[in-house]
Amino acid sequence: MNWIVQNLWLIPGLPLLAAGLSALLKQRERTAAATLAIGSMGLAFVLSCVAFAHTLGGHGEETRHVFNFDWFQLGATSLKLGWVLDPLTAAMLVMVTFVGTLIFIYSVGYMAHDENFTRFFCFLSLFAAAMLGLVIANNLLLLFMSWELVGLASYLLIGFWYHKPSAAAAAKKAFITTRIGDVGFFLGIVWLYSETGTLLFYDNGHGCLEASALTKLVSMTVGGGVVVATAISLLIFCGAVGKSGQVPLHVWLPDAMEGPTPVSALIHAATMVAAGVFLLARVYPLLDVDPLNIAGRSTALSVVTWVGAVTALFAALIAVAQNDIKRILAYSTVSQLGFMMVGIGTGGVAVGMLHLITHAFFKALLFLGAGSVIHGCHEEQDIRKMGGLRAHMPKTFATYAIGMMALSGFPFVFSGFWSKDEILHEALHWDESHWPFYMVALGAVLTAFYMSRQMCYVFFGKYRGTAHAAAAHDAHQPVKHEAKPAKGKKGPQAKGNHAPAKASSRTPHESPDVMTIPLVLLAAFTILLVLVATPVWPWFHGYLSGHAAEVRVSELFAWDKLSVIGLSIILVSVGVAAACWLYWLKPVTRADSVDALEQLRPDVIGFLKQQCRVDEFYEATVVRFNAWAAVASDFLDRWIWGGAVKAASLAVLGVAWASRFFDEFGINLGFQKGCDGFAGAGGLLARLQSGRIHDYLRVIGLALTVLVLALVWGCRS
Amino acid sequence: MMSYLEILRLAAPEGILVLAALAVLGVDVGVTRTEPRASRLFITNALALFGCVVAFIWMLPGGHPGSVGGLFTVTPLTQLVKQALVVLSILTLLLSVETSFSEHLGEYVALVLLATVGMMLVVSAEDTLMIFVALELTSLSLYTLTAFNKSDPQSAEAALKYFLFGSVAAAFALFGLSLLYGATGATALPAIAAKLKGHALSPMVAVALVMIVIGFGFKVAAVPFHLWAPDAYQGAPVPVAALIASGSKVAGFFILAKVMMLGFAGLEGSGSWGRYAPGWIPLLAVLAVASMLLGNLAALAQTNVKRLLAYSAIAHGGYVLLGVMANTPQGVAAVVYYAMTYGLTVIGAFGVVAVVEARTGSCRIADFAGLGKRSPLLAGALLIFLLSLAGIPPLAGFFGKFYVFAAAANGAKELGLLWTVVVALAMSTVSLYYYLKVLKQVYVVAAPDGAGEINISLVTRVVLVVMAVGVVLLGALPDLILGRLVPALAGVVAGH
Repeated sequence: MNWIVQNLWLIPGLPLLAAGLSALLKQRERTAAATLAIGSMGLAFVLSCVAFAHTLGGHGEETRHVFNFDWFQLGATSLKLGWVLDPLTAAMLVMVTFVGTLIFIYSVGYMAHDENFTRFFCFLSLFAAAMLGLVIANNLLLLFMSWELVGLASYLLIGFWYHKPSAAAAAKKAFITTRIGDVGFFLGIVWLYSETGTLLFYDNGHGCLEASALTKLVSMTVGGGVVVATAISLLIFCGAVGKSGQVPLHVWLPDAMEGPTPVSALIHAATMVAAGVFLLARVYPLLDVDPLNIAGRSTALSVVTWVGAVTALFAALIAVAQNDIKRILAYSTVSQLGFMMVGIGTGGVAVGMLHLITHAFFKALLFLGAGSVIHGCHEEQDIRKMGGLRAHMPKTFATYAIGMMALSGFPFVFSGFWSKDEILHEALHWDESHWPFYMVALGAVLTAFYMSRQMCYVFFGKYRGTAHAAAAHDAHQPVKHEAKPAKGKKGPQAKGNHAPAKASSRTPHESPDVMTIPLVLLAAFTILLVLVATPVWPWFHGYLSGHAAEVRVSELFAWDKLSVIGLSIILVSVGVAAACWLYWLKPVTRADSVDALEQLRPDVIGFLKQQCRVDEFYEATVVRFNAWAAVASDFLDRWIWGGAVKAASLAVLGVAWASRFFDEFGINLGFQKGCDGFAGAGGLLARLQSGRIHDYLRVIGLALTVLVLALVWGCRS
Repeated sequence: MMSYLEILRLAAPEGILVLAALAVLGVDVGVTRTEPRASRLFITNALALFGCVVAFIWMLPGGHPGSVGGLFTVTPLTQLVKQALVVLSILTLLLSVETSFSEHLGEYVALVLLATVGMMLVVSAEDTLMIFVALELTSLSLYTLTAFNKSDPQSAEAALKYFLFGSVAAAFALFGLSLLYGATGATALPAIAAKLKGHALSPMVAVALVMIVIGFGFKVAAVPFHLWAPDAYQGAPVPVAALIASGSKVAGFFILAKVMMLGFAGLEGSGSWGRYAPGWIPLLAVLAVASMLLGNLAALAQTNVKRLLAYSAIAHGGYVLLGVMANTPQGVAAVVYYAMTYGLTVIGAFGVVAVVEARTGSCRIADFAGLGKRSPLLAGALLIFLLSLAGIPPLAGFFGKFYVFAAAANGAKELGLLWTVVVALAMSTVSLYYYLKVLKQVYVVAAPDGAGEINISLVTRVVLVVMAVGVVLLGALPDLILGRLVPALAGVVAGH
């Protein structure tokens, strides 16, 4: 067996080691922590590339290498863990380690002045280890453990500035909301184990994703004619819904933006939220089985498609009305995850995964760009208070524009165009219903619209921060400064809370190289990925399915492709044009002026601005119900069960009083003598450990007699 | 007729240790008696460790199985258990470096080695005569070791109690074995089982059974034959107490399981709830439940850490008996895994106690106050050992308990032994209290004024860290032992 297959564990192992070591470091040893984290991630990246190279050139099942080992034995059965190296794993490994390394480097700049720098890198490494473990797992249990560890790391990082109440609340919300999905996921795991007796994905024909297990699962039904395979798939999908922020469990993701921006980029845009999509890709054989036995069509996949389509449209609508730069990107992430779900549901693994990979690059780019903007604008996140940054931050502007165009789906040279095009194409040809296609198409228009709107607000027009920032600064800044207390380079502003700020220090500035270089690299890859994503040379599809891809230029001009491409271009144009008409032609001049769209329909936009009041809805239903149930349980405990216990104790007391009465007056003093005897015996027992050896030996004799009598008595009866 | 060469080959590990013991005695008494203490310590320990390591390596391939006329049997399973015994003795010797209770270093080391030889012979014995002789070799060495701290009257008192109790128990066991010989006319365990098979439990065999159980019950300190244990643990030098609690118990449980499952096969009876039938399983069930109850409850009241560990050892003995009662290969695997990991953990705990006792002069719980500040390494190691004893995952103690409980629950039909498991679970919860009581002193309570840092020798530090890592590792990856244990066991089960 190949070296890399046997040692694939090193890829999550190295960041885990780094996390463990940096947990032991003192807070002031910043260089060591950053070196450990970045070094381990870099090594993991190199190993991932080796693994990736190993998966190239195989055909069909040959490309899958599995390494299983016994964890422990329990009677006749043994619990096996293992890892799998196939194109799906390798592609994710390279993406996660590459994006991760860049974001780690970027964090050095972004977190430079944070006093908990070391802790930050410890958590980041822990996250990376868990994410990579999730990717290589060949066992649903191992995957679930990593899944939960990823959730833990996310919790720790969202709440990294835990002294901010909003951050602490957001961390809690993220943890609890995803946990709701995980309950379903876990039930699915347990059910799957009880039906198939294994949680290994691939195990020489005995794994739960292989033919024999799938045949068994599809041959059984639960109540209502639902196939067991479908039921288990849907339970596992619950986990994906929670982690990937699909409706109705999307509420945690926008709030998760309370974490430091590199965290938002790494965890809540590029990697962790994609874990749900990856999970579906991993268990795709299970999702795909259906009694009707048509490839790519099953009840479970329909559900995935519908949920994805609803999410894609719903989140895009909300994103239109947001004013916080990170919140817009957060809703855009939710929306794009919906696109991926539609891709998996209608077109299979390759379609969803292609968008996952391209999205990871350009969304990480956008988030890091947003971080750079926030950094440059002195922790300002409201796009109404930005503007004209094109001149102040040229590098950030250029890279952000590339990311924005990739996300919106500008034609031809951006990878996002092709991966989204692929999804539209598959959705159009989905034979169950056309509605998902319409929803996704509308989502694409809105994506182009809100991203263009954001560009206009942030980079064009005039800088609107100065005048208002001074006023707003004093109101808001104490909280933010608590969050990032030490600001060596921007010392004057740190004092600006108390003293009038100098105008010069208020102007936005470009971020240091350590932050912009990762941006440039990500931007480059956003474009370079085009090479493997187009229908002309569908290398990625071929790679995932284990077939060699051929160059077929004619593919591009086939009518069904060409029509979708044309449609796609029209959709983007409509979105961009609308945004330009509203925001470019009439540039926003004042930070407090009403949004152009809001002037048109204040009621609708107001509703969207409040994020469709989903949080309020949950507050009024789930949370209220929970509180009510708690009160009810308390009442039951206190009065019903507690009352029963009290009644019982009163009854016992009554009996005791009666007995005492009976004792004192009914039984004569002779009994008292007997009781004294028992008390004496109790004293003897208490002196069992008397320290006198002859007592000890007497006990042996006593025990012998009693035990023999018990045995012999047993024989007689 | 067996060739002597074959006997030598089978018993080579024991022979190596005997030679090492003699060499230690010879060198220390004859050559280095006048040397300074440090160099004598080094030479005696180096010789003993050399012998142990050679014996360990000899047994590594597992040795091909063989038997000397049924008296002395070697299987992969016995080799595995013997390796564990050798490792436990090595650790005991290394921990003795820290203490200074005796000037008779050569005799001390030689006796530890001879006790180990006795335990190894016990493990291999499959004949009642051999079992008795081997047990006596172990016991006599341990009595002497207990009395080794000649300057401390407590040590002598403990040894005398241990000796008197032990010799009476041994007399019972011998009586029981001779009754068994009278009933069956055989001394080899399989032959005894063959004779007993098919007959109901006759009163004579019942008496024999109880007497034999008394003999072994003394060895493993099961209630009500535990009375010597708290006094002996408290009075004996700490490394000796560690050896009594670890190696001696591993051997004791192994031979108990062997005699019951092999020799009394067919007389199991039933200890299931509501379906009592006389036999050795209900007998052990009584001992197990009594041990768990008394051990854990009495430990709650202790103020001395050594006595606390003694009572906790009684309770752990009760848990292990559950595995024997299961009467299945899975049960034996659980017993061996539990006894091994428990031995490792308890030596570690005693090692920490030894250091604290050497520095503070006594080992009341209060003497551990502020240990977390005074020596983070000692405190950390103690944390791991005690949490493992309490059965907190992912430490070895958790998996040991899990296996034993699972084996006991699956052992009888319709989960008949579940009631014992329920008692065990409830009592495990109780045990957490007294372990945490010690840890609270270590980490929460401030050190008394004037208590400085505790410096430990490099050897002790390394040994403690190795043991702590071992406890974590065996808990996280139980397959390290089970992976060898289960195949070894399968071979034995198929053989019989």
